[in-house]
Amino acid sequence: MAGLYFNRPMPHGGKLVERVITDRTIAKKYLAACTKYCAFYDIKPTLHYKRGVPVRNVYREIMSVCYGFFSPVEGSMTSAELESVLSKRRLLSGWVFPYPILFDISREDYKKLGVSEGDRLILRLKGKPFAMLDIEEIYEIDPEELANRTFGSPETNPEVVREKFDDKHPGWVIYRSHQPIILAGKYTIINEPIFKPPFDRFWLPPRKCREVMEKRGWRTAIAHQTRNVPHVGHEHLMKNAAYTGDVEPCHGILVNAIIGVKRRGDYPDEAILEAHEAVNKYGYIKPERHMVTFTLWDMRYGNPLESLLHGIIRQNMGCTHHMFGRDHAAVGEYYDSYATQILWLKGIPSYGFDKPVNEVEGGLLIRPQNMREFWYCPVCKEMAYSENCNHTKEKEKLSGSLIRGLVAEGVQPPVVIMRPEVFKVVVKWWKKFNYPFVNERYVQRKEEELEVDLPDLD
Amino acid sequence: MEYTVEVFLDDYRLEKIKGSAVESKIETAFGGELKLLKVKVGEEVKNDLLKAFETARIDSRACITDTPVAFKRALFEEIAKQKSLGEEVVKAVLARIDEIKELAAKESDFLPAPEIETE
Repeated sequence: MAGLYFNRPMPHGGKLVERVITDRTIAKKYLAACTKYCAFYDIKPTLHYKRGVPVRNVYREIMSVCYGFFSPVEGSMTSAELESVLSKRRLLSGWVFPYPILFDISREDYKKLGVSEGDRLILRLKGKPFAMLDIEEIYEIDPEELANRTFGSPETNPEVVREKFDDKHPGWVIYRSHQPIILAGKYTIINEPIFKPPFDRFWLPPRKCREVMEKRGWRTAIAHQTRNVPHVGHEHLMKNAAYTGDVEPCHGILVNAIIGVKRRGDYPDEAILEAHEAVNKYGYIKPERHMVTFTLWDMRYGNPLESLLHGIIRQNMGCTHHMFGRDHAAVGEYYDSYATQILWLKGIPSYGFDKPVNEVEGGLLIRPQNMREFWYCPVCKEMAYSENCNHTKEKEKLSGSLIRGLVAEGVQPPVVIMRPEVFKVVVKWWKKFNYPFVNERYVQRKEEELEVDLPDLD
Repeated sequence: MEYTVEVFLDDYRLEKIKGSAVESKIETAFGGELKLLKVKVGEEVKNDLLKAFETARIDSRACITDTPVAFKRALFEEIAKQKSLGEEVVKAVLARIDEIKELAAKESDFLPAPEIETE
């Protein structure tokens, strides 16, 4: 019988990365030593290479690296590591990793800093010391080439890429907007940021998350990726995908929202978190079985590549399974709708996976639960799974644009589409921001205020 | 080919068309939970709408979606005024296109939240 049970998987790479100095006395000593010998750099948001609006803030990547969400990545990648990730989607250690993680600065800032390899750089956030970067290598990139190679093209990745990536794709824009000078090296947080409400309630880094799972008795847990407020279709996806497990359904559902700069028309991060919380708070899924958390990351919308990062994050958090639906972390028509499922079921050789991600050397241990679609069936009179329900003519799909249309007009969506408590959360934040969705003003404000404040360390 | 513009109905809107000929044309979706009116338009009006609003698109049901809220509000007002679901209600709204576009431009910065209790 014991052989039938699944164990919590080890972190990706074998060990959780934790690069946070929590002892403030030690942190102060580091800072005092650095004040004499190190250069200081104020972290700036990455601005759209054409429009000048914020598209990313590297502080989110530093947080996700140092708290272990991206284990085994420990910092900004060297040129050899970058090449390895772009050509094979593997770190130099051989562990699978999909995206370049880079600390980029402009040529002007590089000149001003006057740093060289072997130096330590103190990174300030909101004017206060935040982290150290121990510079191993300094090199230059061509941002356009970086963006193109990160995502591929219909020619180089014909299995799943349908359209050439361009400046309508937010992830491509993020890499295209990188500054040309890369400072590579390990990050260490020396001043732990304090999350502002409501983010503070949902911050659960991997080690803590694993402890909570243990305490709750979750032998198995399935991850739900989200960048949206949940409609009833999402709720059914969670409930039904969680029927997988080992000898019984998964003990827990871990909702992990991606928090960072998003597309216009997405919902504000605050609403996403509290709306998912409403699902358990009002009993649609028992709170003992459903937990809402987040990861800081400016989404790259890379569908199969993003699913790899999601798998890594949630394996590091302790999940045994990950649900993947249609158009996972996708935008537009760049990818095949089921590109993520192709990656996890067959592999995508052109991205470096001639077998499913779980079967390759250095691959993931988290198990995929690939789901098709849920729709409302007026004949079955229920939210139905597309592979069960044969009333394909009568089906009524819950499209994002339908729900956005209702919300924008202030029409309360019917309970079969969106729970009233979820809609109330949307309206609560709508009143706060004067707008129900992400718009330019929200992005500007978010990048000025960020999700965190920093305590004094001096 | 015929295209559809859907207008969703909540209690306020239902009250505005109560007793009119339009009330009998209310359709439902999602098990009767969502009430809506469907305005049918031809090729020419469809093209006018797509030209007027760059966000507008045709979905797989031949439905014209993603039009500005200002347009949908004006369209409902026109339906309630004319008590009709004919193409003429869309034409009447398109006749005020400058005013609608002005309101639509403001929409990207501000949309009034519904007055519901949220705490």
